[in-house]
Amino acid sequence: MSFIKKFEKPLGMRDTLPKIYEKVETIRSIGREFLITRGYVFIKTPTVEYFDTVGKASAITDTQLFKLVDSQGNTLVLRPDMTTPIARVAASKLLKEMIPLRLAYFASVFRAQETEGGRPAEFEQMGIELIGDNSVFADAEVIITALELLQRFALTQFKVTIGHAGILNCILQDYTESIEQQQILRSLLVQRNFVGFEEAVESFDLPKAKSDALLQFIEEAVTVNDIRDIEKYVRKNDALTYMQQLATLLEAANLAEYIAFDFTLSSHMSYYTGMLFEIFATGSGFPLGNGGRYDGLLDVFGSKVGATGFSIRVDRLLETLDTEESQSHDTTVVLFEEEQFEAALAIVQELRAVGKKSVLQLRNSLVDEQAFLAHFTEIIVVGQEEVIDE
Amino acid sequence: MNELTIAMPKGRIFEEAYQMLLDAGFNLPEEVEMSRKLMIEIPEEKIRFILAKPMDVPVFVEHGVADIGIAGKDVLLEQQREVHELLDLKISNCYIASAGLPNTMMNEIAPRIATKYPNIAMKYYKGIGEQVEIIELNGSIELAPMIGLADRIVDIVSTGRTLKENGLVEYEFIAAVTSRLIANPVSYRMKGERILDLVKRLKKRVN
Repeated sequence: MSFIKKFEKPLGMRDTLPKIYEKVETIRSIGREFLITRGYVFIKTPTVEYFDTVGKASAITDTQLFKLVDSQGNTLVLRPDMTTPIARVAASKLLKEMIPLRLAYFASVFRAQETEGGRPAEFEQMGIELIGDNSVFADAEVIITALELLQRFALTQFKVTIGHAGILNCILQDYTESIEQQQILRSLLVQRNFVGFEEAVESFDLPKAKSDALLQFIEEAVTVNDIRDIEKYVRKNDALTYMQQLATLLEAANLAEYIAFDFTLSSHMSYYTGMLFEIFATGSGFPLGNGGRYDGLLDVFGSKVGATGFSIRVDRLLETLDTEESQSHDTTVVLFEEEQFEAALAIVQELRAVGKKSVLQLRNSLVDEQAFLAHFTEIIVVGQEEVIDE
Repeated sequence: MNELTIAMPKGRIFEEAYQMLLDAGFNLPEEVEMSRKLMIEIPEEKIRFILAKPMDVPVFVEHGVADIGIAGKDVLLEQQREVHELLDLKISNCYIASAGLPNTMMNEIAPRIATKYPNIAMKYYKGIGEQVEIIELNGSIELAPMIGLADRIVDIVSTGRTLKENGLVEYEFIAAVTSRLIANPVSYRMKGERILDLVKRLKKRVN
């Protein structure tokens, strides 16, 4: 182990300094108000959960979990996502009170430490879960909420790419000849390795009709602007009808310009069973968030209802937002000499009573007066000496 | 039309790939002065090239400072970064193989492998059920067996001349390597049209 310097934080951990704190706080309050207006209620779950329950049910792989051991010898995890703990609370308690449930959160989640920069081990997520409504309208609501939330943050360049696990499965089943082949192709699609996909299809020695169909599908299915373009590859099935309905609903919400379909979309989040989507925005090199339908997850916690939701990474959202100066500079400072404390106190109390941010500061304690005063818009000196340079 | 930033490895691969772009009908100057420049702007096509070490191309692309890039499959296999692999350009054909002194067996207790691809080597030997110890080197890998640092090396082979000149023989073929066109996941969506157009045009030159 290397020697730890005094200023160091554990690998992957970040401080939130006042400027960023305020920005995050703004995002939180805008997001909170936005979601509350849509009937979502906020909840909080413990930072630490059991590995055997939430840890295992979560889609985050074992090696990416942050693990601890409690005093009874149980393995614990720092929550790797919010969807799984919320599924736990919903199944064991909240669903007994109300179905469907609309829940929202703004919380830190934890992933294994990585040495390279840009991959914090703790980061905040904002998101919603709509639990107990299996209809396509619930999925539409989730996608619309995600898009409108981004609009609310004044983002203009963003995109949601929607796929469906069922359609992809159907195509992989129809055009391959074994389950192993399907798995190989699916994992290549998760990595979005199109070169590997083509090579794999060729190596399978499939009948020409099948391999041609797969290769053509992969070329066309990545950018489907009109869902009807994909019909020729898929035999009529529920998933396709479902996606057609979803497309119609999103068109009705006037959000078509932000939406693209990609039926090669396959998520590493293994609990997504139906529709799934990814959120991208110019400004961050990494996806902003993702979401989808996860009907099986509630079952793990003993409830048979379906659920759908999305989450957005707050650190990446910050990168995409315009970095306008926040209003931290509108604070008044009242400098006083020891004898004038009473008079100075009266002044700040007056200022605070009318809602003005004001700081009371003993002048003698200042080490570098210039540097200190640079942080304030207004300076009031109580006492004899005037400030030389305002 | 948005600006497209392309990360390219310096040297021969840049020249070959640049020629492919020219052949694909991109309006680029016939000659580029390479010298020491790290960035080349092509305003006519709204393209900007970033010139980087081959190992760094996937880093630029993963972090999104380059939208697309050209990287060797060896680097992609080694680093396992989150980038989309869009097209096999089939240039700079070579492969990764293990090599060592002729007629030697690997040490039974702790076979040592010298390589600049520690992840590829580890994965390969794990895959064949062999527990090895990796020694990471940055160059002149061929030295390792000659001076007794390692039993085998895992390295990239193009003609096999360097191995032969140093008295080494190839043992196992590990993976084929060519240059690939890779894309950042966000750019792939936000600048999808430009990127897919480029892929389509380059694909015609490949086949």
